[in-house]
Amino acid sequence: MAARTTTKSNGNHNQTPFRHLPFYLFSLGLCFLIWQTAVLWIADTPRRFLLPTPGEVVARFTKLAGNGVLLHNASVTLLEMGLGLLVGTTLAVLLGYGVAHSKFIAYLLEPVIVTSQAVPIVALAPLLTVWFGPGLASKVVVCALIVFFPILVNVVTGLKNIDPRLRDLFRMLEAPRYQVIVKLEIPAALPAFLAGLKVSGTLAGMGAVVGEFVASTRGLGYLVKQGQNLYDLPMMFVAIITLMAIALVVYSLLGLVERRTLRWSVQDTTASYSEEVA
Amino acid sequence: MRTRWFSFIIVLVILVGCTGRSSKSALTKINLPMGYVANVQFSPFYMGKERGYFEKAGFDVTFDYRWETDGIQLVAAGEIPFSVASGDQVIQARSRGLPVVAVAAWYQKFPVAVIALENTPLNSPADMRGLRIGIPETFGASYIGLRALLKAGGLTEADIDLQTIGYTQLAALTAGTVDAVVVYANNEPVVFTREGTAFNALYVSNYANLVSAVIVSNDTMIKEHSKEVEAFVTAFLAGLNDVIADPDAAFKVCGAYIEGLEENAIAQRGVLDTSIEFWRTPHLGRFDAAAWEEAQTVMLEIGLIEKTMPVETLFTNAFAQ
Repeated sequence: MAARTTTKSNGNHNQTPFRHLPFYLFSLGLCFLIWQTAVLWIADTPRRFLLPTPGEVVARFTKLAGNGVLLHNASVTLLEMGLGLLVGTTLAVLLGYGVAHSKFIAYLLEPVIVTSQAVPIVALAPLLTVWFGPGLASKVVVCALIVFFPILVNVVTGLKNIDPRLRDLFRMLEAPRYQVIVKLEIPAALPAFLAGLKVSGTLAGMGAVVGEFVASTRGLGYLVKQGQNLYDLPMMFVAIITLMAIALVVYSLLGLVERRTLRWSVQDTTASYSEEVA
Repeated sequence: MRTRWFSFIIVLVILVGCTGRSSKSALTKINLPMGYVANVQFSPFYMGKERGYFEKAGFDVTFDYRWETDGIQLVAAGEIPFSVASGDQVIQARSRGLPVVAVAAWYQKFPVAVIALENTPLNSPADMRGLRIGIPETFGASYIGLRALLKAGGLTEADIDLQTIGYTQLAALTAGTVDAVVVYANNEPVVFTREGTAFNALYVSNYANLVSAVIVSNDTMIKEHSKEVEAFVTAFLAGLNDVIADPDAAFKVCGAYIEGLEENAIAQRGVLDTSIEFWRTPHLGRFDAAAWEEAQTVMLEIGLIEKTMPVETLFTNAFAQ
Protein backbone atom coordinates (compact mmCIF):
# COMPACT_ATOMS: atom_id res chain seq x y z
CA MET A 1 0.00 0.00 0.00
CA ALA A 2 2.76 2.37 0.99
CA ALA A 3 4.81 1.51 -2.08
CA ARG A 4 1.82 2.12 -4.34
CA THR A 5 1.18 5.56 -2.86
CA THR A 6 4.79 6.53 -3.28
CA THR A 7 4.86 5.38 -6.88
CA LYS A 8 1.74 7.36 -7.65
CA SER A 9 3.18 10.35 -5.93
CA ASN A 10 6.42 10.17 -7.90
CA GLY A 11 4.51 9.72 -11.10
CA ASN A 12 2.63 12.93 -10.42
CA HIS A 13 5.85 14.77 -9.72
CA ASN A 14 7.43 13.70 -12.94
CA GLN A 15 4.45 14.92 -14.91
CA THR A 16 3.96 18.17 -13.01
CA PRO A 17 5.98 20.63 -15.08
CA PHE A 18 4.45 19.56 -18.37
CA ARG A 19 0.95 18.96 -17.06
CA HIS A 20 0.73 22.50 -15.73
CA LEU A 21 2.55 24.25 -18.54
CA PRO A 22 -0.59 25.13 -20.53
CA PHE A 23 -2.14 26.66 -17.41
CA TYR A 24 0.98 28.72 -16.74
CA LEU A 25 1.10 29.89 -20.35
CA PHE A 26 -2.59 30.72 -20.30
CA SER A 27 -2.16 32.67 -17.07
CA LEU A 28 0.77 34.63 -18.49
CA GLY A 29 -1.09 35.24 -21.74
CA LEU A 30 -4.08 36.56 -19.81
CA CYS A 31 -1.88 38.99 -17.86
CA PHE A 32 -0.31 40.19 -21.09
CA LEU A 33 -3.74 40.64 -22.66
CA ILE A 34 -5.03 42.67 -19.72
CA TRP A 35 -1.87 44.79 -19.78
CA GLN A 36 -2.11 45.44 -23.54
CA THR A 37 -5.82 46.25 -23.25
CA ALA A 38 -5.10 48.74 -20.48
CA VAL A 39 -2.38 50.35 -22.60
CA LEU A 40 -4.75 50.70 -25.56
CA TRP A 41 -7.47 52.02 -23.26
CA ILE A 42 -5.33 54.89 -22.01
CA ALA A 43 -3.25 55.42 -25.16
CA ASP A 44 -4.88 58.72 -26.06
CA THR A 45 -5.17 60.06 -22.54
CA PRO A 46 -2.58 61.69 -20.27
CA ARG A 47 -2.74 58.52 -18.17
CA ARG A 48 -0.41 56.91 -20.69
CA PHE A 49 2.43 58.26 -18.52
CA LEU A 50 1.42 55.83 -15.77
CA LEU A 51 1.79 52.58 -17.72
CA PRO A 52 4.46 51.56 -20.24
CA THR A 53 3.57 49.40 -23.22
CA PRO A 54 4.74 45.77 -23.33
CA GLY A 55 6.88 46.75 -26.33
CA GLU A 56 8.68 49.45 -24.33
CA VAL A 57 9.34 47.00 -21.52
CA VAL A 58 10.66 44.35 -23.90
CA ALA A 59 12.94 46.93 -25.53
CA ARG A 60 14.23 48.04 -22.11
CA PHE A 61 14.72 44.43 -21.07
CA THR A 62 16.76 43.74 -24.20
CA LYS A 63 18.94 46.75 -23.53
CA LEU A 64 19.46 46.02 -19.82
CA ALA A 65 20.11 42.35 -20.49
CA GLY A 66 22.42 43.16 -23.39
CA ASN A 67 24.70 45.54 -21.48
CA GLY A 68 24.86 43.26 -18.43
CA VAL A 69 23.16 45.71 -16.07
CA LEU A 70 20.25 43.37 -15.38
CA LEU A 71 22.45 40.35 -14.69
CA HIS A 72 24.74 42.37 -12.42
CA ASN A 73 21.89 43.74 -10.35
CA ALA A 74 19.99 40.46 -10.28
CA SER A 75 23.08 38.63 -9.04
CA VAL A 76 23.47 41.15 -6.21
CA THR A 77 19.87 40.61 -5.13
CA LEU A 78 20.28 36.83 -5.42
CA LEU A 79 23.40 36.97 -3.23
CA GLU A 80 21.54 38.96 -0.59
CA MET A 81 18.61 36.54 -0.77
CA GLY A 82 20.84 33.48 -0.56
CA LEU A 83 22.85 34.72 2.41
CA GLY A 84 19.71 36.00 4.15
CA LEU A 85 18.02 32.66 3.64
CA LEU A 86 21.05 30.83 4.98
CA VAL A 87 21.38 32.97 8.09
CA GLY A 88 17.63 33.12 8.76
CA THR A 89 17.16 29.39 8.24
CA THR A 90 20.08 28.46 10.47
CA LEU A 91 18.84 30.65 13.29
CA ALA A 92 15.24 29.51 12.86
CA VAL A 93 16.20 25.82 12.96
CA LEU A 94 18.41 26.23 16.03
CA LEU A 95 15.91 28.35 17.94
CA GLY A 96 12.99 26.26 16.71
CA TYR A 97 14.65 23.17 18.08
CA GLY A 98 15.14 24.89 21.42
CA VAL A 99 11.58 26.17 21.56
CA ALA A 100 10.14 22.75 20.68
CA HIS A 101 12.17 20.95 23.37
CA SER A 102 12.37 23.39 26.23
CA LYS A 103 9.43 25.08 27.83
CA PHE A 104 11.84 27.52 29.43
CA ILE A 105 13.23 28.59 26.07
CA ALA A 106 9.73 28.66 24.60
CA TYR A 107 8.40 30.93 27.34
CA LEU A 108 11.50 33.08 27.05
CA LEU A 109 11.56 33.47 23.29
CA GLU A 110 8.01 33.13 22.04
CA PRO A 111 6.75 36.56 23.17
CA VAL A 112 9.80 38.27 21.70
CA ILE A 113 9.61 36.37 18.45
CA VAL A 114 5.87 36.85 18.01
CA THR A 115 5.86 40.55 18.86
CA SER A 116 8.91 41.13 16.66
CA GLN A 117 6.84 39.89 13.74
CA ALA A 118 4.36 42.69 14.34
CA VAL A 119 7.04 45.26 13.51
CA PRO A 120 6.91 46.05 9.78
CA ILE A 121 10.27 45.30 8.25
CA VAL A 122 10.13 48.56 6.25
CA ALA A 123 10.13 50.42 9.56
CA LEU A 124 13.09 48.44 10.86
CA ALA A 125 15.17 48.54 7.68
CA PRO A 126 16.47 52.12 8.08
CA LEU A 127 17.61 51.29 11.63
CA LEU A 128 19.31 48.12 10.44
CA THR A 129 21.11 50.20 7.83
CA VAL A 130 22.47 52.43 10.59
CA TRP A 131 23.48 49.47 12.76
CA PHE A 132 24.95 47.21 10.08
CA GLY A 133 26.02 49.78 7.51
CA PRO A 134 24.67 50.44 4.03
CA GLY A 135 26.44 47.45 2.46
CA LEU A 136 25.62 43.79 2.09
CA ALA A 137 25.28 43.05 5.83
CA SER A 138 22.14 45.15 6.40
CA LYS A 139 20.37 43.55 3.42
CA VAL A 140 21.26 40.07 4.63
CA VAL A 141 19.91 40.90 8.08
CA VAL A 142 16.65 42.21 6.61
CA CYS A 143 16.29 39.03 4.52
CA ALA A 144 17.13 36.85 7.50
CA LEU A 145 14.51 38.56 9.65
CA ILE A 146 11.85 38.07 6.99
CA VAL A 147 12.60 34.38 6.37
CA PHE A 148 13.13 33.52 10.01
CA PHE A 149 9.55 33.34 11.29
CA PRO A 150 7.87 30.99 8.77
CA ILE A 151 10.71 28.49 9.13
CA LEU A 152 10.75 28.72 12.91
CA VAL A 153 7.01 28.14 13.17
CA ASN A 154 7.16 25.17 10.81
CA VAL A 155 10.16 23.63 12.55
CA VAL A 156 8.44 23.90 15.94
CA THR A 157 5.20 22.49 14.51
CA GLY A 158 7.05 19.65 12.80
CA LEU A 159 8.91 18.70 15.96
CA LYS A 160 5.90 19.00 18.24
CA ASN A 161 3.74 16.86 15.96
CA ILE A 162 6.00 13.83 16.14
CA ASP A 163 3.98 10.79 17.14
CA PRO A 164 4.61 10.25 20.88
CA ARG A 165 4.60 6.50 20.28
CA LEU A 166 7.65 6.89 18.04
CA ARG A 167 9.39 8.89 20.75
CA ASP A 168 8.51 6.12 23.22
CA LEU A 169 9.93 3.55 20.83
CA PHE A 170 13.25 5.41 20.54
CA ARG A 171 13.31 5.80 24.32
CA MET A 172 12.63 2.08 24.83
CA LEU A 173 15.43 1.22 22.44
CA GLU A 174 17.64 3.61 24.39
CA ALA A 175 18.62 5.37 21.21
CA PRO A 176 21.35 7.98 21.73
CA ARG A 177 20.50 11.66 21.25
CA TYR A 178 22.06 11.96 17.80
CA GLN A 179 20.07 8.96 16.58
CA VAL A 180 16.83 10.50 17.83
CA ILE A 181 17.72 13.64 15.93
CA VAL A 182 18.88 11.96 12.74
CA LYS A 183 16.44 9.03 12.56
CA LEU A 184 13.33 10.57 14.09
CA GLU A 185 13.24 14.32 14.48
CA ILE A 186 14.82 15.44 11.23
CA PRO A 187 12.73 13.13 9.03
CA ALA A 188 9.58 13.98 10.97
CA ALA A 189 10.08 17.74 10.88
CA LEU A 190 11.40 17.81 7.33
CA PRO A 191 8.07 18.18 5.49
CA ALA A 192 7.03 21.14 7.63
CA PHE A 193 10.52 22.66 7.45
CA LEU A 194 10.61 22.43 3.66
CA ALA A 195 7.14 23.92 3.38
CA GLY A 196 8.37 26.85 5.48
CA LEU A 197 11.53 27.10 3.40
CA LYS A 198 9.50 27.38 0.21
CA VAL A 199 7.53 30.31 1.60
CA SER A 200 10.66 31.93 3.02
CA GLY A 201 12.56 31.54 -0.23
CA THR A 202 10.10 33.81 -1.98
CA LEU A 203 9.95 36.21 0.98
CA ALA A 204 13.73 36.58 0.85
CA GLY A 205 13.35 38.55 -2.38
CA MET A 206 11.08 40.98 -0.59
CA GLY A 207 13.66 41.40 2.18
CA ALA A 208 16.43 42.14 -0.28
CA VAL A 209 14.35 44.76 -2.06
CA VAL A 210 13.33 46.44 1.21
CA GLY A 211 17.00 46.66 2.18
CA GLU A 212 17.95 48.02 -1.23
CA PHE A 213 15.21 50.61 -1.05
CA VAL A 214 16.77 52.11 2.07
CA ALA A 215 20.32 52.46 0.76
CA SER A 216 21.96 50.80 -2.21
CA THR A 217 23.81 51.33 -5.42
CA ARG A 218 22.97 47.98 -6.96
CA GLY A 219 20.37 45.25 -6.89
CA LEU A 220 16.94 44.90 -8.45
CA GLY A 221 15.38 47.05 -5.71
CA TYR A 222 17.87 49.75 -6.62
CA LEU A 223 16.85 49.44 -10.29
CA VAL A 224 13.18 49.87 -9.31
CA LYS A 225 14.03 52.95 -7.28
CA GLN A 226 16.28 54.33 -9.99
CA GLY A 227 13.53 53.77 -12.57
CA GLN A 228 11.07 55.59 -10.36
CA ASN A 229 13.34 58.59 -9.89
CA LEU A 230 14.22 58.80 -13.55
CA TYR A 231 10.58 58.33 -14.64
CA ASP A 232 11.83 55.27 -16.48
CA LEU A 233 8.75 53.07 -16.01
CA PRO A 234 9.95 50.37 -18.44
CA MET A 235 13.08 49.91 -16.29
CA MET A 236 10.90 49.60 -13.17
CA PHE A 237 8.80 46.97 -14.93
CA VAL A 238 11.88 45.03 -16.06
CA ALA A 239 13.23 44.94 -12.50
CA ILE A 240 9.85 43.99 -11.01
CA ILE A 241 9.25 41.24 -13.58
CA THR A 242 12.76 39.91 -12.95
CA LEU A 243 12.01 39.81 -9.23
CA MET A 244 8.83 37.90 -9.94
CA ALA A 245 10.72 35.46 -12.16
CA ILE A 246 13.34 34.95 -9.45
CA ALA A 247 10.62 34.27 -6.87
CA LEU A 248 9.01 31.76 -9.22
CA VAL A 249 12.30 29.99 -9.91
CA VAL A 250 13.24 29.90 -6.22
CA TYR A 251 9.81 28.53 -5.31
CA SER A 252 10.01 25.90 -8.05
CA LEU A 253 13.56 24.87 -7.09
CA LEU A 254 12.66 24.56 -3.43
CA GLY A 255 9.54 22.62 -4.46
CA LEU A 256 11.80 20.29 -6.45
CA VAL A 257 14.10 19.88 -3.47
CA GLU A 258 11.05 19.15 -1.34
CA ARG A 259 9.78 16.49 -3.70
CA ARG A 260 13.19 14.85 -4.10
CA THR A 261 13.91 14.94 -0.37
CA LEU A 262 10.54 13.55 0.64
CA ARG A 263 10.41 10.73 -1.88
CA TRP A 264 10.57 8.27 0.99
CA SER A 265 7.47 9.76 2.52
CA VAL A 266 4.68 7.17 2.80
CA GLN A 267 1.97 9.77 2.65
CA ASP A 268 2.08 12.29 -0.11
CA THR A 269 2.53 15.25 2.19
CA THR A 270 4.62 17.05 -0.36
CA ALA A 271 1.83 17.84 -2.75
CA SER A 272 1.83 21.53 -3.22
CA TYR A 273 -1.27 23.63 -2.99
CA SER A 274 -1.41 24.04 -6.72
CA GLU A 275 -1.22 20.29 -7.22
CA GLU A 276 -4.09 19.77 -4.82
CA VAL A 277 -6.13 22.36 -6.61
CA ALA A 278 -5.31 20.82 -9.97
CA MET B 1 -53.80 78.11 1.72
CA ARG B 2 -52.13 75.21 3.49
CA THR B 3 -50.93 73.82 0.14
CA ARG B 4 -49.46 77.20 -0.80
CA TRP B 5 -47.56 77.40 2.49
CA PHE B 6 -46.36 73.85 2.01
CA SER B 7 -45.12 74.64 -1.53
CA PHE B 8 -43.40 77.77 -0.26
CA ILE B 9 -41.55 75.82 2.42
CA ILE B 10 -40.52 73.13 -0.10
CA VAL B 11 -39.17 75.76 -2.51
CA LEU B 12 -37.36 77.49 0.37
CA VAL B 13 -35.78 74.23 1.49
CA ILE B 14 -34.63 73.46 -2.06
CA LEU B 15 -33.20 76.93 -2.49
CA VAL B 16 -31.34 76.80 0.81
CA GLY B 17 -30.11 73.31 -0.05
CA CYS B 18 -28.90 74.42 -3.44
CA THR B 19 -27.15 77.43 -1.98
CA GLY B 20 -25.39 75.25 0.58
CA ARG B 21 -24.38 72.70 -2.02
CA SER B 22 -23.15 75.24 -4.48
CA SER B 23 -20.88 76.94 -1.98
CA LYS B 24 -19.30 73.60 -1.08
CA SER B 25 -19.13 72.16 -4.55
CA ALA B 26 -17.52 75.36 -5.81
CA LEU B 27 -14.33 74.28 -4.06
CA THR B 28 -12.03 72.03 -6.04
CA LYS B 29 -10.68 69.29 -3.84
CA ILE B 30 -6.91 68.79 -4.07
CA ASN B 31 -4.91 66.19 -2.22
CA LEU B 32 -1.57 67.92 -2.69
CA PRO B 33 1.51 65.65 -2.92
CA MET B 34 4.22 67.18 -0.71
CA GLY B 35 7.18 64.84 -1.37
CA TYR B 36 8.16 64.48 2.28
CA VAL B 37 6.66 63.84 5.71
CA ALA B 38 4.66 66.51 7.52
CA ASN B 39 7.20 69.16 8.45
CA VAL B 40 7.52 72.81 9.40
CA GLN B 41 9.02 73.37 5.96
CA PHE B 42 5.50 73.04 4.62
CA SER B 43 4.27 75.90 6.78
CA PRO B 44 3.41 78.12 3.75
CA PHE B 45 0.85 75.51 2.71
CA TYR B 46 -0.48 75.06 6.23
CA MET B 47 -0.71 78.82 6.56
CA GLY B 48 -2.49 79.09 3.20
CA LYS B 49 -5.07 76.60 4.39
CA GLU B 50 -5.51 77.95 7.91
CA ARG B 51 -5.89 81.54 6.77
CA GLY B 52 -8.37 80.54 4.07
CA TYR B 53 -6.22 81.60 1.09
CA PHE B 54 -6.71 78.30 -0.72
CA GLU B 55 -10.42 78.26 0.03
CA LYS B 56 -10.77 81.82 -1.23
CA ALA B 57 -8.97 80.72 -4.39
CA GLY B 58 -11.51 77.92 -4.82
CA PHE B 59 -9.55 74.97 -3.45
CA ASP B 60 -10.18 72.55 -0.63
CA VAL B 61 -6.60 71.44 -0.02
CA THR B 62 -5.53 68.38 1.93
CA PHE B 63 -1.95 67.17 2.20
CA ASP B 64 -0.56 63.96 0.83
CA TYR B 65 2.95 63.14 2.00
CA ARG B 66 3.81 60.80 -0.84
CA TRP B 67 7.05 60.76 -2.84
CA GLU B 68 7.56 63.65 -5.21
CA THR B 69 8.00 61.32 -8.19
CA ASP B 70 4.49 59.98 -7.62
CA GLY B 71 3.14 63.52 -7.43
CA ILE B 72 4.84 64.48 -10.69
CA GLN B 73 3.45 61.42 -12.47
CA LEU B 74 -0.07 62.12 -11.24
CA VAL B 75 0.16 65.74 -12.39
CA ALA B 76 1.50 64.61 -15.77
CA ALA B 77 -1.38 62.14 -16.06
CA GLY B 78 -3.91 64.86 -15.28
CA GLU B 79 -5.07 63.04 -12.15
CA ILE B 80 -4.29 66.05 -9.97
CA PRO B 81 -3.60 69.65 -11.01
CA PHE B 82 -0.68 70.51 -8.71
CA SER B 83 2.16 68.99 -6.79
CA VAL B 84 5.18 70.08 -4.79
CA ALA B 85 8.53 68.87 -6.15
CA SER B 86 12.11 69.91 -6.64
CA GLY B 87 12.98 71.64 -9.89
CA ASP B 88 15.35 68.87 -10.94
CA GLN B 89 12.39 66.48 -10.92
CA VAL B 90 10.61 68.77 -13.37
CA ILE B 91 13.66 68.67 -15.63
CA GLN B 92 13.92 64.90 -15.27
CA ALA B 93 10.23 64.32 -15.96
CA ARG B 94 10.10 66.76 -18.85
CA SER B 95 13.10 65.05 -20.43
CA ARG B 96 11.07 61.81 -20.34
CA GLY B 97 8.18 63.49 -22.12
CA LEU B 98 5.97 64.14 -19.10
CA PRO B 99 4.12 67.44 -19.71
CA VAL B 100 4.85 69.05 -16.34
CA VAL B 101 5.76 72.70 -15.79
CA ALA B 102 6.91 74.62 -12.72
CA VAL B 103 4.42 77.41 -12.06
CA ALA B 104 5.85 79.00 -8.91
CA ALA B 105 9.23 79.03 -7.17
CA TRP B 106 9.29 78.21 -3.49
CA TYR B 107 12.93 77.80 -2.37
CA GLN B 108 15.09 80.53 -3.83
CA LYS B 109 18.38 78.95 -2.74
CA PHE B 110 19.33 75.31 -3.19
CA PRO B 111 19.05 73.80 0.31
CA VAL B 112 21.75 71.13 0.10
CA ALA B 113 25.05 71.13 1.96
CA VAL B 114 28.00 68.87 2.70
CA ILE B 115 28.89 68.76 6.38
CA ALA B 116 31.72 67.19 8.34
CA LEU B 117 32.72 67.09 11.98
CA GLU B 118 35.06 69.85 13.10
CA ASN B 119 38.22 67.77 12.69
CA THR B 120 37.62 67.55 8.92
CA PRO B 121 38.27 70.95 7.34
CA LEU B 122 35.79 72.07 4.68
CA ASN B 123 36.88 75.55 3.74
CA SER B 124 36.23 75.14 0.04
CA PRO B 125 34.79 72.44 -2.25
CA ALA B 126 38.34 71.38 -3.14
CA ASP B 127 38.71 70.15 0.45
CA MET B 128 36.38 67.27 -0.38
CA ARG B 129 39.18 65.53 -2.28
CA GLY B 130 39.85 62.07 -0.88
CA LEU B 131 37.02 62.18 1.64
CA ARG B 132 34.55 59.36 2.23
CA ILE B 133 31.27 61.13 1.55
CA GLY B 134 27.91 59.61 2.45
CA ILE B 135 24.88 60.45 0.36
CA PRO B 136 21.26 59.26 0.69
CA GLU B 137 20.84 58.42 -3.00
CA THR B 138 22.75 58.82 -6.22
CA PHE B 139 19.97 60.85 -7.79
CA GLY B 140 17.75 63.76 -6.85
CA ALA B 141 18.62 67.06 -5.21
CA SER B 142 21.33 65.69 -2.89
CA TYR B 143 23.29 64.15 -5.73
CA ILE B 144 22.88 67.13 -8.03
CA GLY B 145 23.99 69.44 -5.22
CA LEU B 146 27.06 67.33 -4.51
CA ARG B 147 28.02 67.20 -8.16
CA ALA B 148 27.67 70.97 -8.42
CA LEU B 149 29.97 71.36 -5.39
CA LEU B 150 32.52 68.96 -6.87
CA LYS B 151 32.44 70.93 -10.09
CA ALA B 152 32.99 74.16 -8.19
CA GLY B 153 36.04 72.62 -6.52
CA GLY B 154 37.46 71.34 -9.80
CA LEU B 155 36.82 67.76 -8.68
CA THR B 156 35.05 64.76 -10.12
CA GLU B 157 33.32 61.84 -8.43
CA ALA B 158 36.52 59.83 -8.87
CA ASP B 159 38.26 62.23 -6.47
CA ILE B 160 36.06 61.22 -3.54
CA ASP B 161 34.88 57.92 -2.04
CA LEU B 162 31.12 58.27 -2.50
CA GLN B 163 28.98 55.93 -0.38
CA THR B 164 25.23 55.54 -0.62
CA ILE B 165 24.01 55.40 2.98
CA GLY B 166 20.29 56.16 2.79
CA TYR B 167 18.85 58.76 5.14
CA THR B 168 21.26 57.89 7.95
CA GLN B 169 23.65 60.77 7.48
CA LEU B 170 24.12 62.01 11.04
CA ALA B 171 24.42 58.49 12.43
CA ALA B 172 27.00 57.60 9.78
CA LEU B 173 28.94 60.81 10.37
CA THR B 174 29.05 60.51 14.15
CA ALA B 175 29.87 56.79 13.92
CA GLY B 176 32.83 57.70 11.71
CA THR B 177 31.87 55.40 8.83
CA VAL B 178 32.14 58.43 6.54
CA ASP B 179 34.10 61.71 6.73
CA ALA B 180 31.32 63.95 5.42
CA VAL B 181 27.68 63.67 4.43
CA VAL B 182 25.33 65.35 2.00
CA VAL B 183 22.38 66.81 3.90
CA TYR B 184 19.52 69.26 3.62
CA ALA B 185 20.98 72.55 4.76
CA ASN B 186 17.85 73.50 6.68
CA ASN B 187 17.64 70.25 8.61
CA GLU B 188 20.70 68.28 9.79
CA PRO B 189 22.93 71.32 10.47
CA VAL B 190 20.14 72.66 12.68
CA VAL B 191 20.13 69.39 14.63
CA PHE B 192 23.91 69.53 15.10
CA THR B 193 23.77 73.15 16.19
CA ARG B 194 21.10 72.37 18.73
CA GLU B 195 23.09 69.40 20.07
CA GLY B 196 26.19 71.56 20.33
CA THR B 197 28.13 69.40 17.89
CA ALA B 198 30.74 71.47 16.09
CA PHE B 199 30.81 70.94 12.35
CA ASN B 200 32.07 72.38 9.09
CA ALA B 201 29.75 72.93 6.15
CA LEU B 202 29.82 73.70 2.46
CA TYR B 203 26.54 75.15 1.25
CA VAL B 204 25.77 74.44 -2.40
CA SER B 205 23.95 77.76 -2.74
CA ASN B 206 27.28 79.56 -2.12
CA TYR B 207 28.83 77.92 -5.16
CA ALA B 208 26.02 77.18 -7.61
CA ASN B 209 22.70 78.70 -8.63
CA LEU B 210 20.38 75.70 -8.97
CA VAL B 211 16.61 75.59 -9.14
CA SER B 212 15.04 74.16 -6.01
CA ALA B 213 11.56 73.28 -4.69
CA VAL B 214 8.66 74.46 -6.86
CA ILE B 215 4.93 74.14 -7.44
CA VAL B 216 4.27 71.91 -10.42
CA SER B 217 1.33 71.81 -12.82
CA ASN B 218 0.88 70.52 -16.35
CA ASP B 219 0.56 71.88 -19.90
CA THR B 220 -3.22 71.35 -20.03
CA MET B 221 -3.84 73.24 -16.80
CA ILE B 222 -1.73 76.15 -17.98
CA LYS B 223 -3.44 76.27 -21.36
CA GLU B 224 -7.03 75.56 -20.40
CA HIS B 225 -7.32 76.51 -16.73
CA SER B 226 -4.85 79.33 -16.29
CA LYS B 227 -7.19 81.19 -13.91
CA GLU B 228 -7.16 78.21 -11.50
CA VAL B 229 -3.40 77.96 -11.72
CA GLU B 230 -3.02 81.64 -11.00
CA ALA B 231 -5.45 81.41 -8.07
CA PHE B 232 -3.59 78.47 -6.57
CA VAL B 233 -0.19 80.13 -6.97
CA THR B 234 -1.52 83.35 -5.47
CA ALA B 235 -2.89 81.47 -2.46
CA PHE B 236 0.40 79.63 -1.95
CA LEU B 237 2.40 82.84 -2.20
CA ALA B 238 0.11 84.53 0.30
CA GLY B 239 0.82 81.70 2.74
CA LEU B 240 4.55 81.92 2.01
CA ASN B 241 4.54 85.65 2.53
CA ASP B 242 2.74 85.29 5.86
CA VAL B 243 5.24 82.71 7.12
CA ILE B 244 8.19 84.94 6.26
CA ALA B 245 6.47 87.92 7.88
CA ASP B 246 5.36 86.12 11.02
CA PRO B 247 7.27 82.89 11.79
CA ASP B 248 5.77 82.69 15.30
CA ALA B 249 2.24 82.49 13.92
CA ALA B 250 3.37 80.03 11.27
CA PHE B 251 4.94 77.77 13.85
CA LYS B 252 1.72 77.75 15.85
CA VAL B 253 -0.26 76.83 12.75
CA CYS B 254 2.12 73.91 12.07
CA GLY B 255 1.11 72.34 15.39
CA ALA B 256 -2.21 71.28 13.88
CA TYR B 257 -0.51 69.40 11.08
CA ILE B 258 2.61 67.86 12.62
CA GLU B 259 2.45 65.18 15.27
CA GLY B 260 4.96 65.66 18.09
CA LEU B 261 5.87 69.22 17.12
CA GLU B 262 5.48 70.48 20.66
CA GLU B 263 7.96 67.93 22.02
CA ASN B 264 10.53 68.94 19.38
CA ALA B 265 9.67 72.60 19.30
CA ILE B 266 13.19 74.03 19.70
CA ALA B 267 14.76 71.97 16.92
CA GLN B 268 11.80 72.38 14.58
CA ARG B 269 11.66 76.10 15.15
CA GLY B 270 15.31 76.14 14.11
CA VAL B 271 14.40 74.26 10.95
CA LEU B 272 11.65 76.77 10.17
CA ASP B 273 13.85 79.81 10.77
CA THR B 274 16.63 78.34 8.61
CA SER B 275 14.17 77.38 5.87
CA ILE B 276 12.79 80.90 5.73
CA GLU B 277 16.25 82.16 4.81
CA PHE B 278 16.15 79.84 1.80
CA TRP B 279 12.75 81.24 0.71
CA ARG B 280 13.37 84.93 1.23
CA THR B 281 13.42 87.06 -1.93
CA PRO B 282 11.95 90.38 -3.09
CA HIS B 283 10.08 88.49 -5.82
CA LEU B 284 8.30 85.59 -4.21
CA GLY B 285 7.34 82.81 -6.61
CA ARG B 286 9.43 84.01 -9.53
CA PHE B 287 12.07 81.88 -11.22
CA ASP B 288 15.56 82.75 -12.32
CA ALA B 289 16.13 81.21 -15.76
CA ALA B 290 19.85 80.90 -15.00
CA ALA B 291 19.09 78.49 -12.15
CA TRP B 292 17.28 76.18 -14.58
CA GLU B 293 20.14 76.43 -17.06
CA GLU B 294 22.72 75.54 -14.44
CA ALA B 295 20.66 72.66 -13.05
CA GLN B 296 20.31 71.23 -16.56
CA THR B 297 24.05 71.54 -17.16
CA VAL B 298 24.84 69.59 -13.98
CA MET B 299 22.20 66.95 -14.76
CA LEU B 300 23.55 66.55 -18.27
CA GLU B 301 27.08 66.05 -16.94
CA ILE B 302 25.86 63.46 -14.46
CA GLY B 303 23.93 61.68 -17.21
CA LEU B 304 20.52 62.14 -15.61
CA ILE B 305 19.28 63.75 -18.82
CA GLU B 306 20.44 63.18 -22.38
CA LYS B 307 20.08 66.74 -23.64
CA THR B 308 19.13 70.12 -22.28
CA MET B 309 15.73 71.62 -23.06
CA PRO B 310 14.70 75.23 -23.65
CA VAL B 311 14.11 76.61 -20.15
CA GLU B 312 10.81 78.21 -21.18
CA THR B 313 9.37 74.70 -21.50
CA LEU B 314 10.30 73.94 -17.89
CA PHE B 315 8.84 76.88 -15.99
CA THR B 316 6.70 79.95 -16.29
CA ASN B 317 6.68 83.21 -14.37
CA ALA B 318 3.22 84.03 -15.72
CA PHE B 319 1.43 83.22 -12.47
CA ALA B 320 3.76 84.71 -9.88
CA GLN B 321 3.14 88.37 -10.48
